[in-house]
Amino acid sequence: GEARQVRRQQRDEFGELLLRIRGLPAALPALPLELTVIYNSLLFTVRASDSAIKGEAEGIRQGLLRVLEACGACGQHLGTEELWQKVLQEVTVEELQAPLHRLGALQAAWWLAAGRLGSVAGLFELLSTAEEPGRSHCSEGQNKLLSLIKAWRVPPEGASLPLVQSAKDLKEILCTAAAFLQGLQELEAGNFPTALSLLQEAAGGFCSKKILAQIYTCLGCCAQRMGKPQTALQHLKRALQVDFQCLPALSHAAAVYHELGETDVELQALTLLYEALGKNPPAAASSSSCFPMRTELLVHTPVLTSLLRHQHPSEVKYLLAQRCLQDGRVADAVEHYLDFLSLLQEGLQQQVPLDGSSALPRIPEVFLEAASALEQAGRHQDAIAVCEEVIRRTADLVPRVLRVEERLEQPECSSPGAELAGGLLSQKKESLCCLAWRAAGYLHQGWAWAKLGESKEAVTQFSRCLSDLLRLQLHGSGVKPTENLQAEVEVLQKIRLLSLIGRGMQFLELGRHKEALLDFQHSLQISPGDPAAASYLVQTLWKLNRKQEAAAQWQKLSQSSPGEDGQQGRPLPLYLVLCLEQAMFPHSEPLARSIQDYLGTAAQDTSR
Amino acid sequence: MLLSEQDQLLSYNGEVLVFQLSNPKPAEEADDKTMNLCVRRMAFNRDTKLFVQKSSGLLSMRASHSKIEMVCCSCTTDSRTGIILPCVLMKKKKRNNIKYFVLLLHSSNQFEQSFYFKLDYELKEDIRLFAGPSVLWRHTNKLFYISSNTCVVQSAPVQLSSVVWTGEIVGEGTVVLGIRTACLPETEDADGCSVSDRAIWGSEFFGYAIQTQKMLTGTCFMPHAYSRVVSSVHICKSERWKKQLRISLVAITHKKQLIWFQSGVPKGVCDLPYEKPCSVNPAVTSSNDLLFVVSFASGNSCVVQRRDCLQVASKWQKVKCVLVDDFIGSGSEQLLLLFKDDSNTDVLSTFKITDLGEVNYASGINYKHDVPAAEGLQENGLLTVRALETRLQAGWTSVRELQQHLGLQKRVILESCRALIDLVEERTHVLPNAKEEGLVSLWDDVENPPHSLSKETSLASEVPEHCTEELWQRVVGDSLVVGVKLTESFYLSLSDVSLSLVMDQDFSSISPIIKCQSKIIKLNKAFSSLAVSSSQIEPPPKKIKLDLHSKNDVRKEFPKRSSRIQLDGAKTVTAVTSLSPLLAFHRVCCVVLLHASKQNHQNESLQQSKKITVLCGKILLSLEDISNGRYSVKMLRDNSHCTGSVEDMLAVLAVSVRFSFQIVSSDCTLTRVSSWLQGEMECTPFEECQDNIFCHKAGDVHGTIFNWTLKNPFEGLLTIFCRNLTVLFQCLHSLTRVLPPSCRVKLLRSGSKAVLTEQLALALEKEMLTWKNSLFLKETKAENSLTWGNESGKKINNAPLASLLDTEEGVQQFRKNLQNEREESVRSMNQAINGALYQKMALKIAEAQLSSDMTVWRLS
Repeated sequence: GEARQVRRQQRDEFGELLLRIRGLPAALPALPLELTVIYNSLLFTVRASDSAIKGEAEGIRQGLLRVLEACGACGQHLGTEELWQKVLQEVTVEELQAPLHRLGALQAAWWLAAGRLGSVAGLFELLSTAEEPGRSHCSEGQNKLLSLIKAWRVPPEGASLPLVQSAKDLKEILCTAAAFLQGLQELEAGNFPTALSLLQEAAGGFCSKKILAQIYTCLGCCAQRMGKPQTALQHLKRALQVDFQCLPALSHAAAVYHELGETDVELQALTLLYEALGKNPPAAASSSSCFPMRTELLVHTPVLTSLLRHQHPSEVKYLLAQRCLQDGRVADAVEHYLDFLSLLQEGLQQQVPLDGSSALPRIPEVFLEAASALEQAGRHQDAIAVCEEVIRRTADLVPRVLRVEERLEQPECSSPGAELAGGLLSQKKESLCCLAWRAAGYLHQGWAWAKLGESKEAVTQFSRCLSDLLRLQLHGSGVKPTENLQAEVEVLQKIRLLSLIGRGMQFLELGRHKEALLDFQHSLQISPGDPAAASYLVQTLWKLNRKQEAAAQWQKLSQSSPGEDGQQGRPLPLYLVLCLEQAMFPHSEPLARSIQDYLGTAAQDTSR
Repeated sequence: MLLSEQDQLLSYNGEVLVFQLSNPKPAEEADDKTMNLCVRRMAFNRDTKLFVQKSSGLLSMRASHSKIEMVCCSCTTDSRTGIILPCVLMKKKKRNNIKYFVLLLHSSNQFEQSFYFKLDYELKEDIRLFAGPSVLWRHTNKLFYISSNTCVVQSAPVQLSSVVWTGEIVGEGTVVLGIRTACLPETEDADGCSVSDRAIWGSEFFGYAIQTQKMLTGTCFMPHAYSRVVSSVHICKSERWKKQLRISLVAITHKKQLIWFQSGVPKGVCDLPYEKPCSVNPAVTSSNDLLFVVSFASGNSCVVQRRDCLQVASKWQKVKCVLVDDFIGSGSEQLLLLFKDDSNTDVLSTFKITDLGEVNYASGINYKHDVPAAEGLQENGLLTVRALETRLQAGWTSVRELQQHLGLQKRVILESCRALIDLVEERTHVLPNAKEEGLVSLWDDVENPPHSLSKETSLASEVPEHCTEELWQRVVGDSLVVGVKLTESFYLSLSDVSLSLVMDQDFSSISPIIKCQSKIIKLNKAFSSLAVSSSQIEPPPKKIKLDLHSKNDVRKEFPKRSSRIQLDGAKTVTAVTSLSPLLAFHRVCCVVLLHASKQNHQNESLQQSKKITVLCGKILLSLEDISNGRYSVKMLRDNSHCTGSVEDMLAVLAVSVRFSFQIVSSDCTLTRVSSWLQGEMECTPFEECQDNIFCHKAGDVHGTIFNWTLKNPFEGLLTIFCRNLTVLFQCLHSLTRVLPPSCRVKLLRSGSKAVLTEQLALALEKEMLTWKNSLFLKETKAENSLTWGNESGKKINNAPLASLLDTEEGVQQFRKNLQNEREESVRSMNQAINGALYQKMALKIAEAQLSSDMTVWRLS
């Protein structure tokens, strides 16, 4: 508002003053004043824009050229770094040293903001040697840039030429920013101990609350990556103590708790985060009014932005739901999923961040997870409704026939068609995903109907699922699908397996044992050695009174089962986990006993 | 009709005059050739939007063996009639003899030769035509002029390097503004021409009035500093005010700037878009803007507009010339831009008439226009204003809506308040004085922790011997400091500790007791460490939150907390007294006595604490020792530390005035304070006690001791021990320049906030316990009271409050419990008590309340 207006006016007036000064030929007696005006003018510009510093400080360059002009030298063709070198080495006028040094600090700020740490170090080397040559700095183990900045002696402030912000201030800000920036670089490079010490250095420096909280957050992330969750938590807590608006710290804390397996605390943290995100942050009051140059204007690297990514409320809500579901807190999970779905109702664009860094899976998967949660909570009708939504939405997205061919297996990178093939591939992948969601929708519906005791309806749904899955045509049964599509194809196969088992179970329920037998045999073809399918097969054979075959199958199963129990390969999508549990064979104990009895009697028979 | 390079264009009365020199018979011999000077008057037709020729004139000149050229043309006043006429300066070169003549063009298209002059050199530099008509030029740093009146070439008595302007100045007639090398009179002080300017730039402006042949001072035009850069000037206004010449002008400089000066002071600057500006002309357009047309050597032009500030309004490239006149007859001036065009050189075929406002005529399509955006400046501005107006209105409406909404909210809040008050009143009506009793009984569940505390601490107080460790004395300034170091255990059993000095000798006339001030100084030997805990060690998982209801934890936690306040360092009692009265005795021996009241913790009553006096030792003072500096404080700087005994420091602390400041920064970290202490104040920490740092800065502040502890990065406590208030103010003054502006500095009356808060908590606790104890005194209790007291405590312990209140049954049960307790306490209250006991109880309660009130006061 008004303050902004005033700042803009200050900037303009300083710009005008500078323009007037530059209208005259450069002269040594006037240069200290001119350089000081440049210094102040740049700071006023920073203050008026109040956003991160970018680009080059043209004013500084012009100032240096004026210095050279006054000394009768020329440097128009030189780069700014060479210009600094020339000026600092050749201009020895005593009165110019202090203003030049101050301007140097500003230049360093601009270079720091641009990430040109080497240039900054070079400049400070020049500044220090200009002052007292032959002084050796950079003790062992200390950061070179930091010690260079610290070794720089701030020129004393003259009473006659007031400064908007003292050079001492700048030095402190530069120190903090340099430590922070380098810490972030090391963090990115994976040198955690170095990053930690640099960030700690930054945390001890002069900075604002906001920045301090950010530094602590980064410290927390660093400690977490070093495998020190407790230290990480301490740092994150400090970040929140300093500035509660630093919500990324809270989400990182939730992640640490997740890592530690403390689900209660993790859920608490997520809940708190969700609440905090819902509240509007208090207007940042006087933060910007204090100083023109601040650390936050200098540090803006992609690493920091990714570390400090503000999570969207919907993401947090989803995380809550997902964690509850994974942890078996079904009632809470249902609640959260329904909340999330109603958030979606309010508008997809506003509620869901569509950038790549989002923690959200694809929306149909969320629907299926919600259905899964509803089913676990016993709300089968609701689950069916949710699945219906998925099925309806994906109806037009799945092609009649979906061929996964060998040709896609090795996309030749060099060929001109590679890009086209890549596009084709992603399209294919998308279709596979849609097919998986649709099939999973039917699968869930089948199980839900089964739970409701409507076996016929369940069989219908399972059959729909299976017929949809027939759209997928794998090129040659033995051939492994392409690397890129393997995950999707595996999921589809799993769905087919679960669907077959489910339908078989329903057939058993209906007393149609032969059809059941067929389904279980099919499922064993898809996934040889699957314990659930094998067990059901045994049971069906038993019921059909084909006891010998049953016993043979059972023996085969009991021999192979212990080794292949664990889930190999990729973990299943969350929405299939429930189905997998439901497909488990429940009566293995009595079946085993009866078969063993049978085998015993058979053995007796033969021995006799 | 083609326009050649030698042709001259002039605007006159809204018409464009085209002067062309031609050889009508090129085939003829050179001997007898004539040259024709042809003029054509072109006027702009608004309907066809083209220039049409209105009339023309011709002058034939014999040019045998000579070369005739046009030098320049201009509109000048004919001094005979006072009419402004177009005027052309011609040159006729015949071997080494060069004849110049000036032609006037009358409205009848007749040329008239005004005068001529002959020179043996060619006119090249700074040729100007001006009123008379007169001609002015510069040749080898000299200024020459000739007018129709005199017809004699005259020279001005100045050496000059260039002429930047020629024209009329009020009261001075025709004035030439030029630049010359600075000629410095030795004693120059006045006229605002600073010595430094001359020293640096070495050239200056001068004005020369031609009629009066007098020099004008250059400073009323521009500062001399600009003389090196100005290439051309236009004087907008000149007036006499109190005999002072006041001039407003614009100048263009080699530094690519247009600068507007008023009375010699730069008022506005504007950067020009191209290099080497060569001339500047004004134009007054319909929107009453003053425009300056700047031409550049490169053939470019730009227009600078003066509104709030100077700004480039438009610019063009490849411009042949820019004329300013009222070409369309609208009553204000426009710019006529003629572009250099190789393909189409027909005169006035490619042109543009504009006033940068509503008027815009252009011919052809070949002209170059650099900034299409600026073309629609006016239009865009209008649209923007309209849009802004709409937005303003929308904003205004939404503000109104917001106000209404706020009003509504206010009413709702008021309503709610009223409802709440009603509700509250109703409830108090329903449930009178029920709360009070409920509260009392709720407190009961605390298990007497103070008993355990008192037991532990009282053990130590059993040892009356070895109560003092050390006795010392120091002289600081005019004061004598006597210190007694107490053993820790002994100190803990004492309260109200003080020292007194009693003279050993018997001076009958004066009282042996020396007036002195006692202080207790605590030293923290531990380092204050706020730093982030060492990064290498992973701390154990956080402890489970302390459950207040479990007895064990309370017991464990309690002694720890109290010990943190009291057991953290050596205590020294000091006495400070004025030294000089003692020195009057030359040699004096004093007995040092320690007074204290010894507390008896087993019986909480204050009556039983007894006053004790302990003899600590004797001190001997002699003038000789003091002169030798035996007792003086020696603080030296040793690298980064301050050497000096603890006693020295204690002595300084004892004589200093102590001020504590709480420094809170709302936004920035407080690293400045420590850098200020170590940098500007040149402080170093004591070797023995790192918390306290000693100021070595020369001057008044030397010897001041600071203590800086950070509570968190944004809040800290600065304690200053200084000799007097002046020093304090000096320190604070220096500090405020360092602190960020958002910092708040608050003077704490006594003690640090944290310690006081803790004290308050303890005092309140004590008060509460006193209450509780007096309510359940053994003497008043019925035999069963003890049991029910514990029972009720247990009940609440068993069921944590929060979980109880979650369900309705829980609340019911809680209510029932409360009811029971209330009844029980009523029963216990009804018991009789004897008078003496009651008195004692009342006293104790009053004392406890007093102490907590005191702490509250000190905190506020």
